[in-house]
Amino acid sequence: MTALLPVLILLTSLVPAVITFFLDQESHLLRNALSLGGAVLKVALIVVMLFAVAGGAAYETTIPLAPGLVLLLRIDALALLFVSLSATLWLLTTIYAIAYFGTQPELSRFFGFFSLCVAATTGIALSGSLISFFIFFELLTLSTWPLVAHKQDEASLKAARSYLLYALPCSAALLWAIVWLESATGPVLFTEPPDLDGLDPMSLRAIFALFILGFGMKAAIVPLHGWLPAAMAAPAPVSALLHAVAVVKAGAFGVIRVIYDVFGAARVAELGVGIPLAVLASATIIWGSLRALQQHDIKKRLAFSTVSQVSYIVLGAALAGPYGMIGGLAHLVHQGLMKITLFFCAGIYDVRAGVRSIAGLNGLGPRMPWTSTCFSLGALGMIGLPPMAGFVSKIYLGIGGLESGAPWVLAVLAASTLLNAAYFLPLLYRLWFLEPSPDATGDENAPALVVPAVIATLGALGAGVLAASAVSPLGWATLIAERGDIR
Amino acid sequence: MMIWTGPLLPLAALVWPFLLAALTALPAFRGRAVRLLPFAPLPALWLAVAGVEGVTTAPGLLLGVTLGLDAARRLLMGMTAALWLIAGLAAQPMAGKPHTAVFSGFWCLTLTGNIGVFLALDVVTFYVAFAAVSLAAWFLVVHDRTEVALRAGRVYIVTALAGEVSLLVGLLIGAAAAGGVDIEGVRIALGASDAGPVAVALLVTGFGIKVGLVPLHVWLPLAHPAAPVPASAVLSGAIVKAGLFGMILFLPDGAFGSVLMALGLAGAFGAALWGLTQSNPKAVLAYSTVSQMGLMVMLVGAGGAARETVPFLALHHGFAKGALFLLVGAMLAASDRRHRMLCLAFAAAVSASVAGFPFTGGALAKAAVKPGLTDAATLALSLSSVATSIILVWFLFRLWLLPNAGKTATHWPLRLSLPVVAGGLAFAGPWLFWQSWTGHDFVYALAMKPVIDALWPVAVALPPALALLRWSLPQRPPGDLLLLLQGWGTLSIPMPDLSLRWAGGRRLFDALALAIARAERGLLRWSLSSTLLPVLVLAMLALLA
Amino acid sequence: MSALVTLLVLPLAGAIAAIALPSPVGRTAALAAIAATTGAAIVLMATVAFQGMPRLEMGGWTPPLGIVLVADGLSVALIVMTALVMASAGLAARHAFAPGTAGERAAFGFWPLMLLLWSALNVVFLSRDLFNLYVGIELLSLAAIGLVAIDGKATALAAAMRYMIFALAGSLLYLAGVVLIHAAHGTLDIDLIATRTAAAPDGLALALMTAGLMAKTALFPFHVWLPPAHAGAPAPASAMLSGLVPKASFAILLRLWFDTMPDRASDGALTLIALLGTAAVIWGSLGALAQVRLKLIVAYSTVAQIGYLFLVFPLAGGASAGVPWAAGAWTGAVFLALSHGLAKAAMFLAVGHWMAVAGSDRLSDLRGLAQLMPMTAFAFALSAVTLVGLPPSGGFTGKYLVMTAAFASGQWAWALVMGGGGLLAAAYLYRPMAVLFARGAQAGAAPPSRARQAVPLLLASASVALGIASAGPFDLLAIGRPLAAEEGL
Repeated sequence: MTALLPVLILLTSLVPAVITFFLDQESHLLRNALSLGGAVLKVALIVVMLFAVAGGAAYETTIPLAPGLVLLLRIDALALLFVSLSATLWLLTTIYAIAYFGTQPELSRFFGFFSLCVAATTGIALSGSLISFFIFFELLTLSTWPLVAHKQDEASLKAARSYLLYALPCSAALLWAIVWLESATGPVLFTEPPDLDGLDPMSLRAIFALFILGFGMKAAIVPLHGWLPAAMAAPAPVSALLHAVAVVKAGAFGVIRVIYDVFGAARVAELGVGIPLAVLASATIIWGSLRALQQHDIKKRLAFSTVSQVSYIVLGAALAGPYGMIGGLAHLVHQGLMKITLFFCAGIYDVRAGVRSIAGLNGLGPRMPWTSTCFSLGALGMIGLPPMAGFVSKIYLGIGGLESGAPWVLAVLAASTLLNAAYFLPLLYRLWFLEPSPDATGDENAPALVVPAVIATLGALGAGVLAASAVSPLGWATLIAERGDIR
Repeated sequence: MMIWTGPLLPLAALVWPFLLAALTALPAFRGRAVRLLPFAPLPALWLAVAGVEGVTTAPGLLLGVTLGLDAARRLLMGMTAALWLIAGLAAQPMAGKPHTAVFSGFWCLTLTGNIGVFLALDVVTFYVAFAAVSLAAWFLVVHDRTEVALRAGRVYIVTALAGEVSLLVGLLIGAAAAGGVDIEGVRIALGASDAGPVAVALLVTGFGIKVGLVPLHVWLPLAHPAAPVPASAVLSGAIVKAGLFGMILFLPDGAFGSVLMALGLAGAFGAALWGLTQSNPKAVLAYSTVSQMGLMVMLVGAGGAARETVPFLALHHGFAKGALFLLVGAMLAASDRRHRMLCLAFAAAVSASVAGFPFTGGALAKAAVKPGLTDAATLALSLSSVATSIILVWFLFRLWLLPNAGKTATHWPLRLSLPVVAGGLAFAGPWLFWQSWTGHDFVYALAMKPVIDALWPVAVALPPALALLRWSLPQRPPGDLLLLLQGWGTLSIPMPDLSLRWAGGRRLFDALALAIARAERGLLRWSLSSTLLPVLVLAMLALLA
Repeated sequence: MSALVTLLVLPLAGAIAAIALPSPVGRTAALAAIAATTGAAIVLMATVAFQGMPRLEMGGWTPPLGIVLVADGLSVALIVMTALVMASAGLAARHAFAPGTAGERAAFGFWPLMLLLWSALNVVFLSRDLFNLYVGIELLSLAAIGLVAIDGKATALAAAMRYMIFALAGSLLYLAGVVLIHAAHGTLDIDLIATRTAAAPDGLALALMTAGLMAKTALFPFHVWLPPAHAGAPAPASAMLSGLVPKASFAILLRLWFDTMPDRASDGALTLIALLGTAAVIWGSLGALAQVRLKLIVAYSTVAQIGYLFLVFPLAGGASAGVPWAAGAWTGAVFLALSHGLAKAAMFLAVGHWMAVAGSDRLSDLRGLAQLMPMTAFAFALSAVTLVGLPPSGGFTGKYLVMTAAFASGQWAWALVMGGGGLLAAAYLYRPMAVLFARGAQAGAAPPSRARQAVPLLLASASVALGIASAGPFDLLAIGRPLAAEEGL
């Protein structure tokens, strides 16, 4: 039974996905029940496991494929960090999406791929070997495509094309890296450090670069980030999925796995690749923020903000020290909570008030107080103001930078904070302080849309206020670091 | 897991105003939110009065909260809580006006932060509290939502954020150098570590913005007058002290001493002079605050015993400046001449105290400071009293010139009695704590020399001050250095889009299709295929041999 | 043992019955033969998997006098794949070639030709004798040409004609090689030749046979006949032609270079073969990119996918034989062949459905069909996943194995070809996917039933399942794997 737990968790989204594909468009009730049921079941399983894993347990399932291809699903603390984030946010997003779409057409397809997407993300989180990671990583790429293209109009198809245009070459690079590495070391399991001595340092650096190319696209590292703002053409639940639950997170998670479980922090330092990656991440942080400043569309601005914020995680991983790592891991969750809040709210502004542009936000605060409060808190968290979760990540990353002999990280964090403030505060100002245009309408009589946003906000708030407690993302990240799940 | 260890009161003093802030968001309280304000600082006040032993920890909160009190913390927190209480009462007439729920909520949040700054024993809690007091106060500044208030708000938020960031970075360097978050440890580590000077510079910037250290003070003369009167009182009386206390907490003794002294003196004199170009009495008071805070920063820079007594000085200034701002409010509400005279008289008395007139609290505070100073610094202190006297005379003049309200506003006795209480505390406070704080007895303060020392600057100041009333300086809008930046306007920097572009894609595609089709036709020609096959056989044969 | 014979005889018998018996009965007989042969294929697979390789010496005579049939892992894998494709094509053909739907001649001719083709394929997969292989592949070509020409249109006849000329030239070259071998060694049995003493004409014979088989496999630059032939045939026929027929000549090439004369392989020749494969990958992909008709895109994709298969020769043959990764490369190539067969058949069957509804296979006419027929669109997408080589598909497993071998042997250029080819495949398959997925006008004709749509979906799922459950097929392929590649990864 316990050996099957990882598979069970995977199945909680895979089974609804497969069944949903074959449902009629009209069977809303059944479809929603399936999606929600799967999500709830998954969260329940994860809660059970959180306790077990906190007590030191680990679960493992191996499915042998052809020799060299080991499909290993493993639940340890690090896997749980990611999987509990994605499962919780999936549940919220499912509730939100059901209300968001109502009875629009093509929903069986949408929710099918939606669940598939989460199944892939779960697989990524649980992967215990490099090749299983890759398999689920690609599954994620593919199952996201129909979601991005969901509206099936010109813009969506263009966005979807741009997504694949970035994704496929980068996944080719990733496969290259994996094959190159494994041809010298044999199958790489995250639990056992591969023996890298058989490869010369130059090859290892090249492999590392290929890995970063492969994962960096999903993590939207500049200059591989172009698809992310374009993908804003997709509906809000998809944006939430891309930005918080699954896609960019998978990329960042991949970077963490590669640095700590494939190469090992010591080897990364020895090869001298950590600092260049940190520089790249820093450049992304700054660049994303600068670009965000120039956007006039809410979701576009949020998208560039994601570009910037996700690189915090990469930065933390690249610093390859305990504090940096804890900060990066915690930010994986923090950014997810805060960004999903923002996207939920952006979606609510879109469907309930017809507002997509930043100028349209004028005066919406008093009309839509819940939404706007959540949006404001999320934005403040992004800036990194206490007590929202963002400031915790920033403190750990800053100390991590000092610890790894990269004091310039502080300058990056400082600049990023100011830039974040520069592109978020005007929005809040508009929301609360400017007069609405005379023909503006808008209400928030849609609890199924607002409640997920409120819950996510509370999550982000709690993650910051209770950061030092064991149940917070930070506490869990610290547990991971202390336990040495990642080296 | 224990939620907290140690005495509960310090934690309650923080949580209570925070809870009230949350309450103001509830629809049931929105209309009457202002009524909650006087209750917010009560636990903190009780804490300051009663004192507490031991350290409170809340290990699960934030990154682990530790709170505690010592003499300086207790003194400043008591002053702060009392001033917030008085200001909270002074805010009562605002009840029923628009946006008061928001105002009250952020009032309580600012208060939480302000008290937290004095209670925090660890860097993270301090930082969070400081951020709260800094940023939540923005809502107090912009409350009126007039163009002036909003502009002041813009300047305020930009500088506050910049301060926040440099503070965070400085604190991070400190924490990393100390290997821990204990404030004492951080201060010691900053003095010893290589990165110390960078961190100290950053901290001076961060705290300097809050205390209005020249040249980082530009927001202050805009923001303090723009806020409603009770908010101005706490801004100028209590909130700036958070920055000052930050300097005392974190700067290693003597670090950047000469820089701090120079900048402090520049503020002490420069602001007092520039204040003379202001016509709004609140702006004059704001410049006076910059001047006074400059003086205190100078003392921090001087280090040693002088630095130890800065809280004592701050105690007096907090109450006095609060009283003066509230008196502006009272004057604005007064209609008949008697009321106005009364206001002016009280304002004159408090001003005299600020200027250090003998036997006032201000004189006592300055007397407490002097023993720790060099002669030059003592002279500077006395000269600053001259400047203070001049600017406060100018303030009284501008106060008197305020237009008559026409009809007396409601709550007039309350409006007048509150500043009187604050002023009284400004007078009495230094006397009350004189012995415990300086170790001298009262005879020392009443001796001839200090009295003369206190008297002559005021005497010297009076003639030029009176001359100014006759021949006043040209009047300028507040903001001084900021006025220089106005020409810059909005900067916009064009940025390239780094995402992939397939501009010639379509043309390339068509050309490709054509080329392929042509080549396929070529391969189709039998001659080509029939020669290729034998060629392949021969090539293979050659390679196999 | 009986399964071996059944696999050869049953389709033949079905073909004869389909010709001899009157129309409805004949069709039923053909369908029964399809079902029975499929069953026999699965029985044979089970036999090989659990009992080892069955061997049938015809008439009880051992080589060199007699002819022997042996089923090893490679044979049964290809036979089962063939059976799956054939059964699916048969199901699709029940409607496509129903009397009244198709022309009289096509409705009559399809079933015998299809069964004949099947029989020929099984002969090729099971034979261990060079001449027997020749007979099988000749029969195969004839049946295939018949299928290309089946609807009798002028373009189809021209395509069939061109196909025939290439096929005949290839056969001639192959036959010449066979004659040389026989003259030198007096036997055509593969296992006996493998233990021969080397003779002078071996090189020439190998070169001739290889060139001939390349022409039949449609390796670049001998591919020009393939796109018009495959695109011109009706969908069920295209499925067989594209998915199965090239695999037969490729299987013979594998037998030649790994079973028959592994000792003759030289690095230069192996590299030449792989270079042609590389050229095919690039050229076929560019060709597919340039097309505006979906069937041509799919056909050109076959040209490209065939190119991959030829990368196995330098990775597992010659000097590389006997090294640990050789078995991986060899198995990977077979995986690629198997998954391509399934996926390509699924694609052609899906396109067949769309053509029936939209009346054309121009991309511009197919807009929005995914909404009308989501199952076929999904089948096409899954097949595309396999062809691009994305996990978790059989195409990925094959690609991974080949790439690992390429890196392990230091010949990473071939890994570059595999990776780049995948990207090109993504590029040319994306266009139809995007068109199908776009919102567009709905076509007039009613879509086929769900059951019929499920056929390509099942095939495509099989190609993906090959990757998900790859351990079983891998072990199966290890049975009777050439000695050169016995020590597996």
